[in-house]
Amino acid sequence: MSRRTKYILKRCLKTIPIVLGVTLIAFLILHLTPGDPAQIMLGPYATEANIQALKEKLNLDRPLPIQYLTWLKNIVRGDFGTSIRWNRPVTVVVAERIGITLILTSAGLFISVVLGVLLGVGAALRKNSWLDYLCTTQAMFWISMPSFWLGILLLYVFGLKLRLVPIGGMTGITSVILPALTLGLRQEAWFARPMRAEMLEVLNQEYIKAAKAKGVGRFIVVAKHALRNALIPIVTMLALRLPWIIGGSVVIEIVFSWGGLGSLLVNSVLARDYPVVQAILLLIAVAVVLANLLADILYTFVDPRINLEGQ
Amino acid sequence: MVAEKDEEKRAGRGLRRRRTSQFYLIWLRFKRNRLALVGLSIVIIVILIALLAPVISPHDPYVTRPLRKLEGPSLEFPLGTDNLGRCVLSRLFYGSRIALQIGVLIILFEGSIGVFMGLISGFFGGWVDEIVMRLVDVLRSFPVIVLAMAIAGIMGQGIYNVVIALGIVGWTTYARMVRSKILSIKEEDYVEAAYSIGEPSYSVIARYVLPNALPTAIVMMAIMMPTALIASATLSFLGVGVQPPTPSWGSMVSAGRDYLLEAPWISTFGGLFIMFTVLGFNFLGDGLRDALDPTTSQR
Repeated sequence: MSRRTKYILKRCLKTIPIVLGVTLIAFLILHLTPGDPAQIMLGPYATEANIQALKEKLNLDRPLPIQYLTWLKNIVRGDFGTSIRWNRPVTVVVAERIGITLILTSAGLFISVVLGVLLGVGAALRKNSWLDYLCTTQAMFWISMPSFWLGILLLYVFGLKLRLVPIGGMTGITSVILPALTLGLRQEAWFARPMRAEMLEVLNQEYIKAAKAKGVGRFIVVAKHALRNALIPIVTMLALRLPWIIGGSVVIEIVFSWGGLGSLLVNSVLARDYPVVQAILLLIAVAVVLANLLADILYTFVDPRINLEGQ
Repeated sequence: MVAEKDEEKRAGRGLRRRRTSQFYLIWLRFKRNRLALVGLSIVIIVILIALLAPVISPHDPYVTRPLRKLEGPSLEFPLGTDNLGRCVLSRLFYGSRIALQIGVLIILFEGSIGVFMGLISGFFGGWVDEIVMRLVDVLRSFPVIVLAMAIAGIMGQGIYNVVIALGIVGWTTYARMVRSKILSIKEEDYVEAAYSIGEPSYSVIARYVLPNALPTAIVMMAIMMPTALIASATLSFLGVGVQPPTPSWGSMVSAGRDYLLEAPWISTFGGLFIMFTVLGFNFLGDGLRDALDPTTSQR
């Protein structure tokens, strides 16, 4: 077995306890309710028989460990229970909404990476220019701004005042612009700064100097030699920022009235539809864990210098 | 500049016994940073607004005026009125009390959990360390706002549930920092010396390890304040945080969203107050971090 295979196997094994921990948290969250979860889920007008039926369905009258194991067993089989509000399988309710969230997160991710890389490269190439200054100071501006407020401002200026884009809901390609921009602008700084730092380092390497000395054009040097190596840390950054991008999309879906997972989550929390809440939590966390795993594995391929032994 | 450097040197050498605490050294480096001082001033202004809210507010923040809904800024209502005819400026002033109160409670709560977890994890190592760090990994797999919203929503709305929810989610950052600080303190000669004269571990922790890790934890809290402010405002915006009629910045932005066309000032000024406050704490926190560890911040 090569060192890389060994590393990848070890890394995969390490995710198992984390995924188990994630399921435990998603399970336990139901029991944070003040009082009887079945009663609270069904509301104050539920009949005794209905409450009893739900309790039996969710095994709420059995000991916690048994409840957890039964729940886990069902989930492994793909059964997340029935939504109390929609009275349909949770998997169906979630599956209907996931596409919208995927569109938003990928569009936001795309904008943030493209903006971040462009800004970072520009800043590195024109060190100490206004672009460089913008690149290093803008992060403070974005992280001080709540994303819901940025979304509302954009909505007001471009949707209501200038009428350039449709307001609210997802109606065609133009309606993606504002939400994706809201998401992307706040995240882009996280890519711009490492990109700038990495680019500056790469540009100082011997092979870049050699390429330049050989008479290779400036554009080719930057695009072909420098950028390719400087992009490596962006892979890790992508995985690190994923939870924040998903978290941001939850809020932004509410601002722009999109019917994705985020608004489903918020509405299910408010409507006390806990099976849906549990499923979405689990889905998001597992996606984050897998993205981190994937980034670590990718890293072994794109950067052969990485130390495979330690962490 | 030179005088300050000199002062720091003397403080470092312990010539002025009274003022050689770690905090004093941090302050000396802090006050050289202009942006940090701007941050400090903003924070002081916001604290003053919160303290003086009853004096400086033009109106009672709770009084509704059915006939004067959604009025634009005027002399009587400097930032206009909201959908119930309440004075927006007064509500924003009172909102700063809620925001600061929640923010401070959050960092105290998550800070204490984090320090405790980081302490036992770093000090005892072994399986304790393994369990704590895996728990950190698990919690960090959830986006902060997603998990906090689920917890706060399930526990029921209210200020304390916001604090508990964000505390449960947010302590991991402190735990990691404190743990690594403890690991380096454990290697110090004075800790070994304490052991060699037979001090039990609880006494070593209380007398040597904790006091040396505390400045890190306190600066950490200042750095985390912006996150706490934004996260709690976001929870209020989503409807699982502070409930109306209590004036909170997040729920004001949320309420103003429905009247964006007629009364854009409600959302706009609500967000501006959040941003101003958060920017102040960000400058302050950055300055503190640079002052705490000048080697990591040379950019």
